[in-house]
Amino acid sequence: MTAAERRAVRVAFAIAARRTLADPGGLVVSGVFYLIVVSALSAVWRVAADANGGALVGYSAAALTWYIATSESVTISLNIRMIGDLGEDIGSGVVAVELLRPASVLWIRVASELGRAAARLVVIGPAGVGVAALTVGRPPSWPAVALAVPAMALALTANVIAQHAFAASAFWLRNATTAWFLYQKLVFVLGGMLIPLEVFPGWLEAVARALPFQAMAYAPARIAAGHAEPLLLVGQMAWIAGLALAARAVFRMGERRLQVVGG
Amino acid sequence: MAIEVRALTKTFTTGRRRTRRTVEAVRGISFSVEPGERLAYIGPNGAGKSTSIKILTGILHPTSGDATVLGIVPWEQRKRLAARIGTLFGQRSLLWAELSSRQSYRMLAAIYGLSRDEERARVGELGELLDAADLMDQPVRTLSLGQRMRCELAAFLLHRPEVLFLDEPTIGLDLLAKQRFRELLVRINEEQGTTVFLTSHDVADIEHVAERAIVINHGTVIHDAPVAAMRRTLLATKLIEVGLDDHAPIEVPALPGVTVVERTDLALRLVVDTTTTSVRTVLDALLTGTTTTDISVVDPPLEQVIAEIYERPAS
Repeated sequence: MTAAERRAVRVAFAIAARRTLADPGGLVVSGVFYLIVVSALSAVWRVAADANGGALVGYSAAALTWYIATSESVTISLNIRMIGDLGEDIGSGVVAVELLRPASVLWIRVASELGRAAARLVVIGPAGVGVAALTVGRPPSWPAVALAVPAMALALTANVIAQHAFAASAFWLRNATTAWFLYQKLVFVLGGMLIPLEVFPGWLEAVARALPFQAMAYAPARIAAGHAEPLLLVGQMAWIAGLALAARAVFRMGERRLQVVGG
Repeated sequence: MAIEVRALTKTFTTGRRRTRRTVEAVRGISFSVEPGERLAYIGPNGAGKSTSIKILTGILHPTSGDATVLGIVPWEQRKRLAARIGTLFGQRSLLWAELSSRQSYRMLAAIYGLSRDEERARVGELGELLDAADLMDQPVRTLSLGQRMRCELAAFLLHRPEVLFLDEPTIGLDLLAKQRFRELLVRINEEQGTTVFLTSHDVADIEHVAERAIVINHGTVIHDAPVAAMRRTLLATKLIEVGLDDHAPIEVPALPGVTVVERTDLALRLVVDTTTTSVRTVLDALLTGTTTTDISVVDPPLEQVIAEIYERPAS
């Protein structure tokens, strides 16, 4: 990437973040939805933990609340229509026009989505801390909370890049609806957004740990739940590198296809 | 040369297996465009115009042939070329709908490597030129089509492109906006020596902007000449408009190749096929046989010229 392209990526991030913060209505809607989901899900997990003698697969009822508050915050902060929007833009020729600019279509789009998500997280994150603190008191470990902050940023990054890799299927299929449906379920379940991976049967837990989706919700949530494990961050960074290479390769193939068969 | 095209071909394959067929969108096109030229690249729907523009801007690979724009092979160095050209597709926005135009310019300036100072100066300059300064802070989605087009133009010209590719740029604009747009294109071309490569179905765009026209149909070049000469050299017909004295008897010359297209008490309009009968012969006959108040001989409208070119069979 050239210096101009890097600057363009930074500007795309900053403009998207500023634009999101300038839309209080959208932030309020996301925030309210987040609070409802976190309140309901954490209540379910607390009941389950209490019924199991106060803890579940090593997580206390309080830790599970912090887990859900974190996993939901990094998921709800993202644009839910990201894959659909990108798929539509590929199918309708918008991406072909973006190819007319001397910049990477992929990284400008990733930066915009990350800017948008980061701005939402700035609002939703403190709301999560508030709801968890009010419900179960202070977090299980302050050093873990400090480590969870970069883990949340990495989770957003991994998720946005992975969504672009999935959405690139629209270069061939002209529609990314199936990819979006599949992707969402994978993050919800195998990513640990709804359920800590330790709850799964051994084989499924092993599968989930081997996939990138755990870097998008499980990793920051487990850390915020009191497990200050730096290796989780290392894993996230490795997945981001891998996903970035995959997204770039798929986009290049897709762009090449667009250039050969037309858009 | 600003643009050099040699034997350019693009073939698309459509359908699957049994229904598979090959379509030759562009078939061995060759032409060149001098720096600073204003060229209209025209043809009926499906002639291969947009395909050619996509190849020349690097977003489509040709099946065979060569092309350079500003000495760059577009499909090999798309990004390098993109920094030096401007492309405007009438139905595709260069701006981000949810941003204000000014925010979009900020993004585009970063993409094109303009410093903040250069960006501010250029946006100010274009705001004045396009009378768009007041519109630049509104979200793009709230602008009318004419207003948006002015803001689009600023985005299009922000990085001082050396070649402008315009595909149906005036589509949907009102008469006044179209006129302003054409004047602006000519002004930019004259003041900055920018090459203009224009595709349009609007004959007025061609007439008012282009100096030369290349007509393509069925993927091949069927005509390449100065616009001013198109009417004169292409059509062997002339239109003669005659003003008449009220209720005077009209003697329509009974000459081969002369057709009456309109006849009222006060006017007569004739089309003359000059390959059969000369204009002078018709005028002599009119002046001796009719009490005329006025006579004018005009070329047929450019629209008619172009329609006749389109109807020519592919070679």
